[in-house]
Amino acid sequence: MEISISPIIRFFMTEGVPFETIILILMLPIIATLIAFMRQVVGIKAFGIYTPLIITFAFLATNGIKYGIAIFLAVIFIGMLMRFVLKPFRLLYLPRVAIMLTFVALIILFFLALGGSLQRTGLASVSIFPILIMITLVEKFVAVQIEKGNKTALILALETLVISIIGFYIASWSSLIKFLVTYPWAVLFTIPLNIAIGKWTGLRLSEYIRFRQVIKRIQ
Amino acid sequence: MFELFKNSRKILGMNSRNLEFIRPYNRLKAKRLADDKLLSKKILKKNGAAVPKLIAKIKTLDELENFDWQKLPHSFALKPNRGFGGEGIIVVYGKKKGRDDAWIKADRSLITIDDLKNHIRNILDGSYSLSNTPDVAFFEERLQLLKLFKPYTHKGIPDIRVIVFNKVPIMAMLRLPTKESGGKANLQQGAIGVGIDMATGVTTTAIIGKGKFIEKIPDTRLSTSGIRIPYWKDILELASTAQEISNLGFLGVDIAIDKEYGPTILELNARPGLSIQVANLAGLTERLKRISGLKIKTVSKGVRMGMDLFGGEVEEEVEEISGRKVIGTVEKVKLTGKDGKTVEVEAKIDTGAGYTSICTELARELGFEKMVEEYEKITQTYADLKDLPKKERWGIYKHLPDITSTRIIVHSSHGITYRPTIKVNISMHNWLIPAKVAVIDRSHLKYPIIIGRRNLNKFLIDVKK
Repeated sequence: MEISISPIIRFFMTEGVPFETIILILMLPIIATLIAFMRQVVGIKAFGIYTPLIITFAFLATNGIKYGIAIFLAVIFIGMLMRFVLKPFRLLYLPRVAIMLTFVALIILFFLALGGSLQRTGLASVSIFPILIMITLVEKFVAVQIEKGNKTALILALETLVISIIGFYIASWSSLIKFLVTYPWAVLFTIPLNIAIGKWTGLRLSEYIRFRQVIKRIQ
Repeated sequence: MFELFKNSRKILGMNSRNLEFIRPYNRLKAKRLADDKLLSKKILKKNGAAVPKLIAKIKTLDELENFDWQKLPHSFALKPNRGFGGEGIIVVYGKKKGRDDAWIKADRSLITIDDLKNHIRNILDGSYSLSNTPDVAFFEERLQLLKLFKPYTHKGIPDIRVIVFNKVPIMAMLRLPTKESGGKANLQQGAIGVGIDMATGVTTTAIIGKGKFIEKIPDTRLSTSGIRIPYWKDILELASTAQEISNLGFLGVDIAIDKEYGPTILELNARPGLSIQVANLAGLTERLKRISGLKIKTVSKGVRMGMDLFGGEVEEEVEEISGRKVIGTVEKVKLTGKDGKTVEVEAKIDTGAGYTSICTELARELGFEKMVEEYEKITQTYADLKDLPKKERWGIYKHLPDITSTRIIVHSSHGITYRPTIKVNISMHNWLIPAKVAVIDRSHLKYPIIIGRRNLNKFLIDVKK
């Protein structure tokens, strides 16, 4: 490799921190800033900041993003289906989520086995942690579903998916990785950037659409 | 392009609402008050603001088991204390005849004590509260729908959302429940939001749901504009008072009008939505800027400022100076014809026409059917008549009942004709105009009446209105 590795990165590596881990940790503030930007300036809500962030990392940890997306969609689909199945029982929140988690877990297991039998070994060899992360997505989904309804929950889930996919491509962008290896301190620039985003009081892009008639017709 | 950008600065977005208004002006304690319906009811009542009367509250399962159902009145509303978006509310309209354990709901279905118990158990469990925390259920008096709103409302009761800042009511919207919203006055659920002119309390533009513009209530011919909201000043005063009491600097107050008690506060909202700007086609930021920093001591001063600053001020000034009313190119008018027969229609204001004309069909509706019938029997055309002496010509027409004179009308599709004129009283913006109007077939045209120059001397016309 002809890229120059920053001394601090070299230090971490000699202390035994794996290279992958260093890169992932350095990417974290960048992805978090992306999510903040998407919310405050673009107007894409998603499920808060934690969920899209962790899903991005789950995507990074699965073998290829397509399996990640497939599992994500499966989880959301089951979440929607189970709402109708469980509705007549009128259960309290935690038991309801527990039942949902059970079903999601079993179905994912079935999925993995199906992948194996179709010679899609990539699916079956996805490590357990990203799968667990995806399963816990159900709780977030159900919470929103109860408070704001199915439609809103679905929209937020898709927004989360979009942000996570963008996050995935940013975090696996080789030029950015090379840049971070050379100038790891650059991640500190996300702080002033976030201060600027945090003080931003202009309209979000989505609000330009929402208020387009008012903007056009105001005197 | 630059104009659009400038306009967008007048609109309040989420970021600005949260950072510049809710954060600095709505303290946590005050926000808690708004989220707790029973507490806000108590405090508002203590300070003399009108709220629906509390009948009873149920805090525990024990209280539910020992509840005396017979003390409930014939009609009431059952609500979760920390409910949001109108969820979990049950309204009953009367007791089922011959039974003392069942009431009738808005859709005429029955609800028994057992059903109510079940529902209350769910409320206590927190099924309808924010983040599912255990909740309290309460019964309150049902508000009675005002007759004026009846045709505009599908079940439920409409309310008026007023945004108050610094004691000044700055924007308001009438919210009408629809079939889609299931009788709830919530825009997100598909209710109608109608903008209101702050000075007069007359409705302007309207949206349904999240932002589709409408001009008529769906499935009816009722126009959403021009509804004059009664008790307008009282409503604004109540809203401003609520802000003073609640200590919420930036507040959305929901006020309903009860048939008996008048304006009544339904709910306080510490995070009022932004769609009100779409319904009014106006920006909140612009209005907020104009009154922030002002020291306003009393509620009545605040209300006066709101009405003066954010009403159709320009128009009123012009009207004051000229002594004439400003109207648009299409206006609602009320016509009074024979034997006091009245018809309400939209009229085209046409300064290109000298005189006023109405459609034959409209003349019939106004009680002149005989005259129309007789006129249609006359076969002579303009060419036949134009060279006759005046007296002779009049001889042909004068037997028509109610005719006052004839007039030569040049019309694009009828050519030049002699038309009978009749006496009709036109009422526009509460001005009465006695007019002689020509009768002509306008059935192929959009408006059944055009009002010409002769009858417009009391008005100024604003073509953009």
